[in-house]
Amino acid sequence: MNEFWTVTGFTFRNKVKGKAFLITTLILVLILSLAINLPYIISLFKSGGSDSPKTIGYASMQSDLAQSSVTPTLVGDWVKEYFDSQPAGQRKLKLEKIDGGANAASAEAALKKALTDGKISGYMLLEPSKETGFYSALFKSEKMLDNSAVDELKTALQIVKANAAGLTAEQKTLLYAPVDVKALQISADGTAEDAGRTASQQGVNMGMVYAVLFLLFMSIMATGQVIASEVTTEKSSRIMEVLITSVSPLNSMFGKIFGMFLVGLLQIAIYVAAVLINIQIPTNREALGNLDIHLSDVSPDLLIFALLFYLTGYFLFATLYAAVGSLVSRTEDLGQAVMPLTFVSLAGFYLGIFNLANPDSMLVKVTSFIPFFSPYVMVLRVGVGHVATWEVLVSLGIMLVSIYVFGWLSAKIYRTGVLLYGKRPSIKELRKAMKAYKI
Amino acid sequence: MKPLIVERVVKQYADKTAVNGISLEVDRGEIYGLLGANGAGKTTTMRMVLGLIFPDEGRILYNGKPYTKQQLRDIGYLPEERGLYPKVKVSEQLVYLARLKGMSAADADKSLKTWLERFGVPEYYDKRVEELSKGNQQKIQFIATIIHRPKLMILDEAFSGLDPVNVELLKSTVKELRDQGASILFSTHRMEHVEELCRNITILHRSNEVLKGSLKEIKNRFPKERVMLAADGEVSGLEELPGVLGVKRHEHAYELRIADEASGRAVLRHAMQQSDVTRFEIMEPTLNEIFIKTVGEKHE
Repeated sequence: MNEFWTVTGFTFRNKVKGKAFLITTLILVLILSLAINLPYIISLFKSGGSDSPKTIGYASMQSDLAQSSVTPTLVGDWVKEYFDSQPAGQRKLKLEKIDGGANAASAEAALKKALTDGKISGYMLLEPSKETGFYSALFKSEKMLDNSAVDELKTALQIVKANAAGLTAEQKTLLYAPVDVKALQISADGTAEDAGRTASQQGVNMGMVYAVLFLLFMSIMATGQVIASEVTTEKSSRIMEVLITSVSPLNSMFGKIFGMFLVGLLQIAIYVAAVLINIQIPTNREALGNLDIHLSDVSPDLLIFALLFYLTGYFLFATLYAAVGSLVSRTEDLGQAVMPLTFVSLAGFYLGIFNLANPDSMLVKVTSFIPFFSPYVMVLRVGVGHVATWEVLVSLGIMLVSIYVFGWLSAKIYRTGVLLYGKRPSIKELRKAMKAYKI
Repeated sequence: MKPLIVERVVKQYADKTAVNGISLEVDRGEIYGLLGANGAGKTTTMRMVLGLIFPDEGRILYNGKPYTKQQLRDIGYLPEERGLYPKVKVSEQLVYLARLKGMSAADADKSLKTWLERFGVPEYYDKRVEELSKGNQQKIQFIATIIHRPKLMILDEAFSGLDPVNVELLKSTVKELRDQGASILFSTHRMEHVEELCRNITILHRSNEVLKGSLKEIKNRFPKERVMLAADGEVSGLEELPGVLGVKRHEHAYELRIADEASGRAVLRHAMQQSDVTRFEIMEPTLNEIFIKTVGEKHE
């Protein structure tokens, strides 16, 4: 046991002291801080840029004034009224009445002139539509206006259409009062405590699942590669021969894996701290709150299981990376050798990510019990799907058993592999060597 | 009880026999030479002694007891190809290796400082290995082997890559460790080192022992076939003497190959008739010659 801790300590100290650790950690902390501050930063730009509403022109025509029916000029007035009645802060558009002269032709000329003069940033033409019996609008501007302006106009026209139909104020209120639809995710086999998740909770959980999947994938990729290359370096620099005459291969392998795990844990702790500190900044709390993101919405069982699956997933992959590293004699050959492991990890990650919206499909259910995939997929199910506790525990159990089996196998491969130099051995050669070494 | 006894060990790799029935015994305060051409089975034998691989047949006893993990702590191993962490400080990795052998960190640190001082390189304590020259890395590797005061040392090509001054330094250190009672299994291609250090040797050829015993005895077993002759004046007609097989003319001496020791007398008589002889020696065969003879003959 002493040996184990000695190896762990040595691995940990060397990694943490290295420049690579410092730089990658710093960069990621910066990126994370930026990401969290982004909503606030964006809101800063928004309030500066688009606070003042855009001015849209419409024409009043003499030909319309004589008539008493619903003329384009009248509709324009209504739309103007609609926007004017909005509170100043939320107003996106402002209508400007332009004197359009005698008829439609002179009106468009006048509007164009107003546009070139910069009085308006676009104008609206209304033409009678035979299909609807109302007007259809044509919106013209030099620059593409954002879709929201067109949507705003559409809404406004929709509302003023009611004027044309001659509805009373009450009728209009009734018609346009928003209908409240709330979504609540419940589980059908309905345990009593399961009160369901609201949309925002679901959203936060989804974000959490995404973060956990990403973190697990990154940890496995990065740490796994480092473990494998450490082992290969030790082997190619022949210090391995000295090491295995001093320490049992099992202790040396698991000591290394555990040391790297502590490094990863330290890194994650730093990231989490960075995230928490950034979230505590009042401006960010407000910005995130506006986006309906509350950390208290994360389900506690998701956090616990995410941690458990993170740990088991890490150790399962790490032992295999160490075993693969022990088979390779030169660091240059390592990339190719770890490729299959990387693909398996990538497959699990994609299974998780692509099924975020679809957490109860058969594929997800099946793969959540397959080791290598389950750390990704089961976290997804716990976070956003329906899953019984026994299912999670069974999956965890399978993971633990696989860690034991693959850890044992990896230790054997490691023990054999570190003494085999030259080209990468095939499985057959490896078996022969194991027999020959009596391992 | 001898610290290391290897009894008729056999090691088979798939279809090839790497070591075929080798026996040897190393006493306290003895350096045992393990010689052989490349691929003769030296490394496999050493790995079996280290417990990295287990023999198919035969057994290895340490102080009369079979292999246990505990014995690893009393063994120091210097691998043929040097292995240290290139990017880690000398002090860190040597203390690490010593701690794996069961030393306390403080004890290891003290031992390391003493050795660096002995080798005249105390400033390497804080250097990374990659900053050192190859010869100096070799010194560090050597310290890594002996830092935990092992009772049994396995030195595979201990002096390769060193300049003559440092070879002397390490050689005297090895002798000192021997005199303190360490048992050393020593492998090298440099026969003059073996002649200087080893009491007993084994020569391996193609997985088999071909020659074994004390160095003296082995040398006596081989006929003395060389004569060194130096005289004040010219000596002519050496080639015509009976029993003389060949004459090599050096700057200040003649080197003769003779059929047997008795022919030497005729050579001396012949030379004395012509000039004053300043040197006459019937030479012992060198280990180099013995090695080439033993291994070379079998080769054909």
